[in-house]
Amino acid sequence: MTSKKNIKPVLELKNLKKSFGDNHVLKGFNLKLFEGENLVIMGKSGSGKSVMVKCLVGLIQPDSGSIRIKDQDIITMGQTELDLLRTEIGFLFQGSALYDSMTVRENLEFPLRRHKDKIENFQSTEFSVKEALENVGLAHTIDLMPAELSGGMQRRVAMARALILKPKIIMYDEPTTGLDPITAKEIIQLMRTIQKKYNTSSLIITHDVDCARVISNRMILLVDGINYAEGTFEELSNSKDEQVQAFFKS
Amino acid sequence: MEKSNSQKIKVGIFVVVGTVLLIAALYFIGSRQQMFSKNIDLYGVFENANGLQLGNNVRYSGVNVGTVSMIEMVEEGKIIVAMSVEEKTAFFIKKDAVASIGSDGLVGSMVVNILPGKDIKAGWVVSGDTIKIHSKVSTDEMLSTLNKTNENAALLTADLLKITNQIVAGKGTLGALVSDSLIAKDIRQSAAELKRMTSGATHAISQINTIISKINYDESAAALLLSDTVSKNQIQKVFGNLEKSSANIKEVTKTLDDYINEIQSGKGTLNYVTQDEVLVQTIDSTMINIKEAAEKLNENMEALKHNFLFRGYFRKLERKERKEAKEN
Amino acid sequence: MNNENAILSNTKSFFAEIGDMTFFAGRFFREVFSPPFEFKELVRQCYNMGNRSLLLVSVTGFILGLVFTLQSRPTLMQFGAQSWMASMVSLSIVREIGPVIIALICAGRIGSGIGAELGSMRVTEQIDAMEVSGTNPFKYLVVTRVVATTLMLPLLIIMGDAIALLGSAIVENLKGDVSFLLYFNQVFDALQFSDLLPATVKSVFFGFAIGLVGCYKGYNCAKGTVGVGEASNSAVVYISMLLFIIDFIAVFVTDIFFDI
Repeated sequence: MTSKKNIKPVLELKNLKKSFGDNHVLKGFNLKLFEGENLVIMGKSGSGKSVMVKCLVGLIQPDSGSIRIKDQDIITMGQTELDLLRTEIGFLFQGSALYDSMTVRENLEFPLRRHKDKIENFQSTEFSVKEALENVGLAHTIDLMPAELSGGMQRRVAMARALILKPKIIMYDEPTTGLDPITAKEIIQLMRTIQKKYNTSSLIITHDVDCARVISNRMILLVDGINYAEGTFEELSNSKDEQVQAFFKS
Repeated sequence: MEKSNSQKIKVGIFVVVGTVLLIAALYFIGSRQQMFSKNIDLYGVFENANGLQLGNNVRYSGVNVGTVSMIEMVEEGKIIVAMSVEEKTAFFIKKDAVASIGSDGLVGSMVVNILPGKDIKAGWVVSGDTIKIHSKVSTDEMLSTLNKTNENAALLTADLLKITNQIVAGKGTLGALVSDSLIAKDIRQSAAELKRMTSGATHAISQINTIISKINYDESAAALLLSDTVSKNQIQKVFGNLEKSSANIKEVTKTLDDYINEIQSGKGTLNYVTQDEVLVQTIDSTMINIKEAAEKLNENMEALKHNFLFRGYFRKLERKERKEAKEN
Repeated sequence: MNNENAILSNTKSFFAEIGDMTFFAGRFFREVFSPPFEFKELVRQCYNMGNRSLLLVSVTGFILGLVFTLQSRPTLMQFGAQSWMASMVSLSIVREIGPVIIALICAGRIGSGIGAELGSMRVTEQIDAMEVSGTNPFKYLVVTRVVATTLMLPLLIIMGDAIALLGSAIVENLKGDVSFLLYFNQVFDALQFSDLLPATVKSVFFGFAIGLVGCYKGYNCAKGTVGVGEASNSAVVYISMLLFIIDFIAVFVTDIFFDI
């Protein structure tokens, strides 16, 4: 762990602040993500987890603070560079966010439309789509509409879509919400497989303790807009702090 | 990227106000397009505004050039009407132009008509000028004038009746003249001749008119007519008549001239006549009439000569004359 | 005091919304002319909109012409002016009624559709997903739709006009013994270029308003299912209002340039 402190992080957040009107959501949040690690961020609903992760990919403009991904400041970045950088980041949305007017195939082709050249050894769109679907074990659904899939399958297709450009950083926004415990476990398993296969760095936002236990290398607790506590799962679950304990009791 | 709320509000207000201004501007442009052309003001002082309203059109030679911008009564029977007229048209309005109020159609609104002036030396109007007006007679005035005319006519008729009665009774100098049987006979004869001749000429002309109108009516008919020997003969006959009539007229005119000469030289009983002014005037006007008739006849003949249908005939006549002249 | 505050904040949010819409329109004009262009999606949207509205516009246009002629007949007959029917109906349909009615119908059909579609995409984070995958969602979703409505609405309106005139001709044929040939002869006699051109220009703006407001409402949809309904509903309200304002301006402009 200590050795990692000396390596440059792939992603770094410093003193991030964001408020909506009088509602101050983030009040100086700091975060470092190192290569190959699974960082879990836990927090209550409305604690600003989603806002934070959306700031990370430039969907929300923070009020102040700096965001550096691969040593580039994304806040001052132009739209074209930002679009390029985004191809290095996979993003799994809370509700899968599949394009429901398109088939599974079209959903997966969508990120490829403009960024085929980002993939090493690109063969064909068809090959990439099939490979991504096989990774999540859903090759047979290629011509179905998202509405015809179950929630778990949708989540997996969404993962396939997030991974199709072979990103180095993947962000999971509540990957297991709205799923039954068994499907949730499948998804977590899939996340680990992919992490090993492609050696990605992952940022996982969740309030699911089981998920955090299985996947995390390191955890940050987000309370009241700041990083309240930091450490491994064992360190935090054994903490004496009341606020920290509140997460692990349930 | 993100716009602040106050920025949005500012732009929103700007857009709403801009739209309202745009609509207002379009409305004004549409309702009076002269707004952008430079206008000058002309004034006219009328006795009666005849229901003229603000915004009524002002016309110059029938062209809309402006609108009525003010109507103000300054005193009894003195109404100042201000007209806003386009500058570019005002360039054509002379200082002695005349304005009058008329109505635009049977039940239309009122308009101010400016009639062009005639005096070029008067120069052109400038802003602020007051131009002359012409008050069009209203129906009331027209009726009263007509009444006066009627009365005059009645008086005249009475006088005329008196004179005629006297003539019939053989009183006065005119009576004497009429009883001078020789002259009376002569005059009567010449008058009768004149009448006959005139009717002859009229007849001939009307015949020609019928033929011409027939020809004009249909070109194919004209072709038919020209190829038809009967109508050709008819036309020739008509012209023969015409010529004869004009010869007669000449003769009568000569006779009358002789009379006049005698009258002017003061011979015989006609001395009386010279003193009777009424008769002289009558004879004079008769002479004028005859002259006019003769002129008109000549004009008709001339016109006929130029008519393509008869050109051939007249050429033939000319050739014949030339031939005769040569033979002689 | 409370009421005053409410009125003030309502007014503020009204102006803020219009200002925001103006920025949205500005962004549209910036992005519509800059590459990359989404031609395939544009063609798909054009096809979708034309196809989805074709039947509705046809039926409405037909009934419009039919009813309009039936209702005008008694009045014209009072003056013995039935022979003016063709020119009267064609002028009023082509110049005013056709464009406005069909645009209103398309506001309900296309405008609310766009509002709901983009609204639900916003709510389910599909728009965010697009942005994160390196595609400009504004270009892909908004620009294509606004251009598609701007292009398709004049076509729909011209077609609707034609079908309305057909409906009118049928009434005249059945009730007034006017042959179709005579009717359309009279129609084309009455219509001039100066009638068709302003109406078509106007319908281009109608199409733009429908696309832009529909997209704006959907794109800036509030979270939740209520937000989607709200987006599609207020899209129709705003579009209808805007259509009448555009029509109002168009009438004045036509008046100035074509001297009706």
